[in-house]
Amino acid sequence: MTTTTTPPAPAVAGAPPRPSARRLRLVIGSTRHRLLVLGSWLVVALLVLAATGLEPYRLGQLSGAVVIATAIVGLNVVTGYTGLLSVGHSALLGVGAYTTGVLVVQLNLLPLITVPAAVLTGALVGAFVGLPSIRIRGLYLAMVTLALAVAFPEVLRALPEVTGGNSGLSIPLRFLAPPAWTGLTLADRPLWTFLLCLSALLVSMLLVWCVLRSRLGRDMRAVRDHEAAAESFGVHVARTKILAFTISGGITGLAGAMLAMYVGALSPAGSFTILKAIELLSGLVLGGVATQLGPLVGAAVVVYLPVLLADVVQGQGSGVLFGALLIVIVFVMPEGVVGRLNKLWRQRVDVVPRGMPAPVADPP
Amino acid sequence: MDVLVERLVAGSTEGAVYALIALSLVVVFRGTGTINFAQGEMALFTTFVAWSVIARDLPVWVALLVATASGFVLGALVERFLVRPVRKRNDMAVLIVLLGLFTVFNSLDGLIWGGETKVLASLLPNGPDDYVALGPARIYGDTAAVWIGTVLVLIALTVLFRCTRTGLHMRAVANDGEAAALAGVRVGRVLSLSWGLAGAIGSAAGVLVTPLAPAQLSLLTMLAIFLSAAAAALLGGLDSLVGAVVAGLSIGVLEALVIGYVPGVGSNLSETTVLVIIVLVLLVRPQGLFGTKKLERV
Repeated sequence: MTTTTTPPAPAVAGAPPRPSARRLRLVIGSTRHRLLVLGSWLVVALLVLAATGLEPYRLGQLSGAVVIATAIVGLNVVTGYTGLLSVGHSALLGVGAYTTGVLVVQLNLLPLITVPAAVLTGALVGAFVGLPSIRIRGLYLAMVTLALAVAFPEVLRALPEVTGGNSGLSIPLRFLAPPAWTGLTLADRPLWTFLLCLSALLVSMLLVWCVLRSRLGRDMRAVRDHEAAAESFGVHVARTKILAFTISGGITGLAGAMLAMYVGALSPAGSFTILKAIELLSGLVLGGVATQLGPLVGAAVVVYLPVLLADVVQGQGSGVLFGALLIVIVFVMPEGVVGRLNKLWRQRVDVVPRGMPAPVADPP
Repeated sequence: MDVLVERLVAGSTEGAVYALIALSLVVVFRGTGTINFAQGEMALFTTFVAWSVIARDLPVWVALLVATASGFVLGALVERFLVRPVRKRNDMAVLIVLLGLFTVFNSLDGLIWGGETKVLASLLPNGPDDYVALGPARIYGDTAAVWIGTVLVLIALTVLFRCTRTGLHMRAVANDGEAAALAGVRVGRVLSLSWGLAGAIGSAAGVLVTPLAPAQLSLLTMLAIFLSAAAAALLGGLDSLVGAVVAGLSIGVLEALVIGYVPGVGSNLSETTVLVIIVLVLLVRPQGLFGTKKLERV
């Protein structure tokens, strides 16, 4: 198993350090390319396998990071690929989480059954939030979504019969146990939750991957890069924006449902305040806006950095460092971690489709 | 009837609060075309500074001066070193920097002054007998301070923009930065001045407003006020001083009336009311009541 992962490594490591030097050519579909893809997947599989062996507490933490990553994947659809600034995704996350929470607590449904409902309400609310984006954009849209983020916990508090008001909802543990067909027991709950969250993340990433390769994906990026030009080339701007918000809302709603299952207790002051929205946006920027792996790196940073810093600075201190980090990133690495890595990769490696003619000799 | 008058007075006081912060947003917007999302938290920071000054047994007006001065310096520094370098890049960079500042200032307040609620003294005498009767409503010192502050700031800004050379420069930069630069205006200095001015207004507002705020002086004081103020600035048109004041007062009164007379909404949905106002304004009349319409050329 380990031997298959090694061959591509020297090829990458042996690449010349300077962009002006001879670049590595990687033909899509070639053996080398296939090995590289296979190798990466193997690494991913090994990492997941290693993660399942973690102690329950660490596994729970990791599930939290996976949920945040899913939410950032959702945010990336509107803010990254369509260029619509949203500071309101904490509300969409909350919509998904509360859909699951309310259905389980009030109607005694199994949490798994409520997931489609959470996705659906997330998508619907997302589409609704997207409506203002037809007429406004930029910082104005950020203002609207910011107001949404601030208003959402208030709405939860105003509907105590449904949402449990200020004290929130807590999902009874018996609903969160792994179902019998998995062969897992209640003690394996962290593992079960982790696997669920991970599948949600993978499905979301796959969906985004497909969308990006579709016409809609191209329309989204066209709208982001130049709205008026996109419209004049026949892109239906309003539809594109609403669809982007719908997909984003669906994915974020899914993340919310996972959050409900992972945390088990929901409250207005907990995970759905403006600070969560800022956290999601920070994760996106740190990881890399409009990159497919950026949300993973970003979520890892926003979840684990406060934990790592907990020994050095506590409570409010981590907020100061976090905000400062955010500002520093905008200045020194605006493309984010994954964006920077992608850039370095592209400077050294040409990935070309099969049948492309070999490049002409380097200009002098 | 008496209740109505009381509600109108309370609402317009609240509105004057929004108007003050909205004025600082307008000054920033006229200068740099940016909505300063960190305005509320910057004002909260300087209000905490004012509290520290008062805690050293200095009079409130000294605290007001210190807060205003530090607000000016803070605003100018933020513009020069954080906003200017990224402003040309895109909206997202500006938004992230401002949200980063939002987090930094809010956490810094908690770090330095702790999370517990503090009481800030009022600028004018505010005892149980220090009031002016306005029909059935009583206007206490803290309320009067906010009203007087709003009127003074509005007059001062109008004079600045209409009658002084600096104001002329600011208007020129807002209109067309490059043309202003060609005509010899030192654009960078004008922009820093705008942000400094906005910071000073915001800080003064913070000191005047806090004695009235339901949350007193705590980490949450400014969030709700900032949101309503932003709604006011949008409703008035982000580039209109008069618009900000008119819209601030209207929103304050509207909130008071909605809370008082619409059953079921009550005081616990005030932020949602603001959200609805913001969305409606932007959908129906994006340039606001008094703002200038922006034309877009391709």
